[in-house]
Amino acid sequence: MRRLFFLIAGLGVLLASPSPAFAAVNVFACSPEWAALAEEIGGDLVEVKSATNARQDVHHIRAKPSLLAAMRKADLVFCTGASLEIGWLPILIKKSGGPNVQPETIGWLMASDYVQKLEVMSNIDRSMGHIHPEGNPHIQLDPHNIATVADVLAERLMLLDDTNAATYQQNLKSFQDRWAGLISQWEADAASLKGRKIVVYHNAWAYLVDWLGLEVTATLEPKPGIPPTASHLETVLKQVQGKDVQAILVSPYEDEDAAEWLSGKSNIPVVHMPFTVGGNDKAGSLSALFDETLRLLKQGS
Amino acid sequence: MSKKLLLAASAAAILSASPAIAADDADLDALRAEVQAMRAAYETKIRELENKVETLEAKQVRTDERVASVEPAAGRPPVPATSSRQVNDNSFNPEIGVILQGKYQGFSEEDGDIAGFAIGEEAERGTEGLSIDETELNFSANVDNLFRGNATVALHEHEGEVEVEVEEAYVETTSLPYGLQAKAGRFFSELGYLNSHHSHGDDFADRPLPNRAFLDSNYGDDGVQVSAILPTDFYSEIGGGVYRGNDFPGGGAEGGDIGSWTAYGRVGGDVGDNTSWRLGASTLQVSEADRAANEDMVVFSGDSGLYIADARIVHAPTGNNAEQELIFQGEYFHRDDDGFYDDMDAGTGPVAYDDSQSGWYAQGVYKFDPQWRAGVRYSQLYAGDVPAGLVGSALDDGGHDPWAAAAMVDWTNSEFSRARIQYNREELADGHEDNQIILQYIMSLGAHGAHAY
Repeated sequence: MRRLFFLIAGLGVLLASPSPAFAAVNVFACSPEWAALAEEIGGDLVEVKSATNARQDVHHIRAKPSLLAAMRKADLVFCTGASLEIGWLPILIKKSGGPNVQPETIGWLMASDYVQKLEVMSNIDRSMGHIHPEGNPHIQLDPHNIATVADVLAERLMLLDDTNAATYQQNLKSFQDRWAGLISQWEADAASLKGRKIVVYHNAWAYLVDWLGLEVTATLEPKPGIPPTASHLETVLKQVQGKDVQAILVSPYEDEDAAEWLSGKSNIPVVHMPFTVGGNDKAGSLSALFDETLRLLKQGS
Repeated sequence: MSKKLLLAASAAAILSASPAIAADDADLDALRAEVQAMRAAYETKIRELENKVETLEAKQVRTDERVASVEPAAGRPPVPATSSRQVNDNSFNPEIGVILQGKYQGFSEEDGDIAGFAIGEEAERGTEGLSIDETELNFSANVDNLFRGNATVALHEHEGEVEVEVEEAYVETTSLPYGLQAKAGRFFSELGYLNSHHSHGDDFADRPLPNRAFLDSNYGDDGVQVSAILPTDFYSEIGGGVYRGNDFPGGGAEGGDIGSWTAYGRVGGDVGDNTSWRLGASTLQVSEADRAANEDMVVFSGDSGLYIADARIVHAPTGNNAEQELIFQGEYFHRDDDGFYDDMDAGTGPVAYDDSQSGWYAQGVYKFDPQWRAGVRYSQLYAGDVPAGLVGSALDDGGHDPWAAAAMVDWTNSEFSRARIQYNREELADGHEDNQIILQYIMSLGAHGAHAY
């Protein structure tokens, strides 16, 4: 028994030969949109690991072994912040994050620290559900936020890897030029969506709603983070009746049963939105994410 | 509007004209005082509202400034300005969390002894009937840029007396390089899977048999532990610690010696996007212990080595753990005891003992709905052979291997509240079949740290 134990313990050590570093900067991104942005700005100079995929709810991820291993290598932790990842990121940082990716260091980039957050609350209580006191953290669906965060990201990459600073600067410039053009296209394209009434599952669409001037008529969750209940859905049904609501938005990680129920009762179509990069087959990049978001919103009507 | 005015005017005219309601002075004074009080109340309210508006405006300005200052200045790292929240004296207070638990337990069998094992206090099956089980108070905060401190105090009742137990009180490093982390103080050691976890996060209302018999539910001793995550593409970690050796399966530690040590190694990773796994091996070695068990009536003196293998697989059928999740978990325990057992109840006197015991459990928990989970667990123990001097003592299993089966369903309203019903069927001693029903709630107030994998 003793021998067997040391054999197993020793195995771990033997397998632990250091792996060669291929990339200049290892980026640990908490969600696909930040992974995509890191690849836009970093190009071949960065190695990006996304901790989650579009089908996963970033609120509820386990601090699983593979993430500990990825954090061990991270030079830059690129996440949303505003307590979105509070259930798992602190464990990874404490357990395997080095001194250069601690809060308030250059290797710690929380995107929501740099944008104007919506729904900042001062008096909160857990009876209100899963509330983020810092404001709504789902900032990625306003392309202006992406542009703001891209600036900060490029700055960080230049500081972390100054030999390639010129390349990052170049990548940022070409991204921003292209992005500004896309934003004006999208905004022209989406002018007709202004004032459109929608129903959402979770309050995860605040920035899209704010950007396009949509109107949220009802939320399927009775309180943030609390799954829909039958009685709440009845209330929602009353709220939407006769209101000309055009779509029920559901993200890839949200349960669609409640949305389908409401749709069946009210004839409002359920629209499966990508929500983040990779959220559907066509939303493979940041620009495609917004193309798809607008296409689906318009089609939903 | 004009109609209202007219009404009010006529009412006033009637009031002043009517002698019937001419009030005496005392009444008038009372009325005056009341009006005065009302005005004061309104004024306070208005002042409050004004203050609120001012604060909000100030906040808005600050946020605007902050957004404006995002334009990174050349050469200066664009580290965010710290939170725009006001810094009060209490902003450096530790995060405080309280775990409230309540239980109803019903047993069909009076006797909860485990045949062939002498167990510690925490390994007993708990109070029958309604009880508040264990109330946990947790305080934690960053000490500074290098250290984090954490204290967990548990209050529980044992045989009618409230016991205060320092479950954990430790400091740990937060930012060592090379995947290193060090911990010092009293804490639940990294041993197998469950040992380092607090019971409020468990998937069942009670710990499996081997964790109760071999670790008294949790091994938490005073000492130092160091761990390192190795630079591999998959997850691998090694670590170990040295301790006073005072907690079960140790005990009676005195003098300057190191009473026990631990070591562990682990690997883990993902299979595709939806499955993750972890495998581990660990050991706890105790030397020259005086382990008191069965309410101090059985004492083991000598050396004891515990070896544990653990495995855990987490699978998300839909790719999203928040929606559906399937968790398999199991641990195997093997303990070598080399020394003397003395069962005072049976009057054996110290009897030389050199043998081993073992046990295992396996469990599966299925989250079939974001708020609902169901699980089953089986645990089994194998006692050692007893020498002639211990026949008929607590160490004699009477030819029976203790086993326990459990089934549970729980409901999780939010990550802060959970209610559970559990049914146990156990035969811990020959012919002592026990059917148990457990109802339980677990709720957490205030700060609640993230849970490990």
